[in-house]
Amino acid sequence: MGERTEQVITLSLPSSMQHVYLLDVVVSEILREMEFGEDIQEQINLAVIEAGTNAIKHGNKEDLSKKAIFQFILAEDRLTIVIEDEGEGFTRQTVADPLDPENLLKSSGRGLFLMEACMDSVTYEANGTIIKMVKYKQTPNP
Amino acid sequence: MQVNLRHKGSITILDIAGKVIGADALALRKIIEEQVQISDNPAEPREHLNLILNLERVQMMDSSGLGVLVAIHTSVRRVNGQVVLLNLGGNVRSLIVMAKLMTIFDCYDSEAEAIAGIMKS
Repeated sequence: MGERTEQVITLSLPSSMQHVYLLDVVVSEILREMEFGEDIQEQINLAVIEAGTNAIKHGNKEDLSKKAIFQFILAEDRLTIVIEDEGEGFTRQTVADPLDPENLLKSSGRGLFLMEACMDSVTYEANGTIIKMVKYKQTPNP
Repeated sequence: MQVNLRHKGSITILDIAGKVIGADALALRKIIEEQVQISDNPAEPREHLNLILNLERVQMMDSSGLGVLVAIHTSVRRVNGQVVLLNLGGNVRSLIVMAKLMTIFDCYDSEAEAIAGIMKS
């Protein structure tokens, strides 16, 4: 009898933007191993980089004494990614909509929007210091 | 990320390759801001800054990269110049469409068209 198993890979990064590249390499390998389609791989990669940037730059404010922790939970039908930072957190509802015409020419503020656009679900916990993102191999039924 | 800078008449062309993410996006902004400063120097007045960003070999761009494109657009406009995008690959095009930035940038599929577009404006 087959049993559903999950693999968990944890990555703890000091809060330097240079480590976003390391994150990119690790995620790419995980996605290759999970055999996601190429387009979906690119979406997940982008979402993880955005989440990493959010945790390192906006959460931990690039304080090298603080860690950004990434947990990748690999299941047969989905990848769940949990990102935790040591910052003060934020409220999602207070972040401006980057698609609002008055925000289109702003040079920042698109990260959360892209994460949410690329993943099947994104939830914010612990005052936004923990972000949980899920992507299914097949689009889930509505 | 690699950036190659070349000139065709009064037009500066940047051939950008690799991943425009994180710190590399900021490095790209620095390169272009230097061009803006040269163009904006009253001691050495030059023709308007006209930039073509060739994104053909860009494998990936994140929100930092998008932010740099928007910031460049604003900076170049400030010195009465213009910036156009050339050879958007599938990923970058989807990103720009998703962020509703197609209305801000003129985009071209060939260098000749991009140059003609700038000269016409």
